[in-house]
Amino acid sequence: MSLLDEIEAAIPSLRRYAHALMRDRDAADDLVQDSLERALSRRHLWRGDGPVRAWMFRILLNLHRDGLRQAPRRHLVAVESLPKEPAGPERQEAHMDLREVQAAIGRLPDDQRRALLLVALEGMSLAEAATLLDIPEGTLVSRLGRARAALREMTGRTAPQKKEGRA
Amino acid sequence: MTGPEPIREEDLVAYHSGALDTAARDALSARIAADPAARATLAEWDRQDAALAALYGPVAEEPLPAAHRALLAAATTPPRRPTAQLLAAALALLAIGSTAGWFAAGARAPGVHAFTIADDALRAHVTYVAEVVHPVEVAADQADHLVQWLSKRLGHAIKAPDFAAEGFRLMGGRLLPGDKSPAALFMYEDDTGRRLTLYALPEGGAENSAFQFMSYGETQGFYWHDAGLSYAVIGDLDRDRLRTIALAAYDQLI
Repeated sequence: MSLLDEIEAAIPSLRRYAHALMRDRDAADDLVQDSLERALSRRHLWRGDGPVRAWMFRILLNLHRDGLRQAPRRHLVAVESLPKEPAGPERQEAHMDLREVQAAIGRLPDDQRRALLLVALEGMSLAEAATLLDIPEGTLVSRLGRARAALREMTGRTAPQKKEGRA
Repeated sequence: MTGPEPIREEDLVAYHSGALDTAARDALSARIAADPAARATLAEWDRQDAALAALYGPVAEEPLPAAHRALLAAATTPPRRPTAQLLAAALALLAIGSTAGWFAAGARAPGVHAFTIADDALRAHVTYVAEVVHPVEVAADQADHLVQWLSKRLGHAIKAPDFAAEGFRLMGGRLLPGDKSPAALFMYEDDTGRRLTLYALPEGGAENSAFQFMSYGETQGFYWHDAGLSYAVIGDLDRDRLRTIALAAYDQLI
């Protein structure tokens, strides 16, 4: 498979990640388009030292960070304006309200959202995700823990304080 | 009330991410089996993953947008070789190399003007690293012209240091407005597209200073003053790597 083919093959997961990261189709497509442009324009510099997909994720993450600095509040505002549905802790149904999850993802701090989606959505290993984010694995683990706990709380599914079962 | 110590969250994260070896996994499985709170947490995390897959999984099945396909189609024609690497390698390397003890020597608290420089350098960095189409005014393939032009406008001989050893190539540079004199900005990029900038501003009266570290969220930098010029190296790198690059700049700009 040529490098160009590998780049193309990485696009679907890049798109999935970008859409979850931005929660805005146009912004996500723009981010992938810019990433693709960057990857293609420097593919002659590609040294073949690792998976192409990881390289492209790294490019996307760099662009995402750069872009956020330029318009730091843009997406946050959109998400904050979504109606909040405070849910009781008794809600333990098997499926989560997807809209609520989507809004909760948007309220996570950027670093937590980037980390959580690499692992929870893209199925990357802790080692892979830590390398991509340039952070130690221990930092990633606590970031994931915080992200998952925040998500659980925001979707009204906090761990019950008074245990109904026997511990 | 649960008897043994509760399972640590980091262990649950490692367990859930499949990061444990068989022995550790088996040991933890037994403890989880006896811990309803841990089981509930893991089940909740499974539901989170399922919700994410339901929300965004279908995106990966969609046909690629036309704009992406157009880029790929255009890329089937071979790219032209960049001259940036050659130029970067050819840049004179005036490494005097005596950085030992330098941090200790002449260290002083940064003055107000130092913060102004840090702030200006940071704003220039943030403004231009995000630029996709026009990140630099003069590209690295005209590096000689760039350096001569900036030296003339700043009234100081200035160079674009070579950070190839750190994996960063010169992209080019631009002239920026400054307080009393224009400032120069050089931009560098690694092969993942991560960018860093070197900012230089003539500052006649300022005293030489040790490296000062600054941090603004994920963006960090070192700035210093040396022989009539104030410098800042700024990027989204960890502090040690950035320090190595700043030292390389210092050595080459001396």
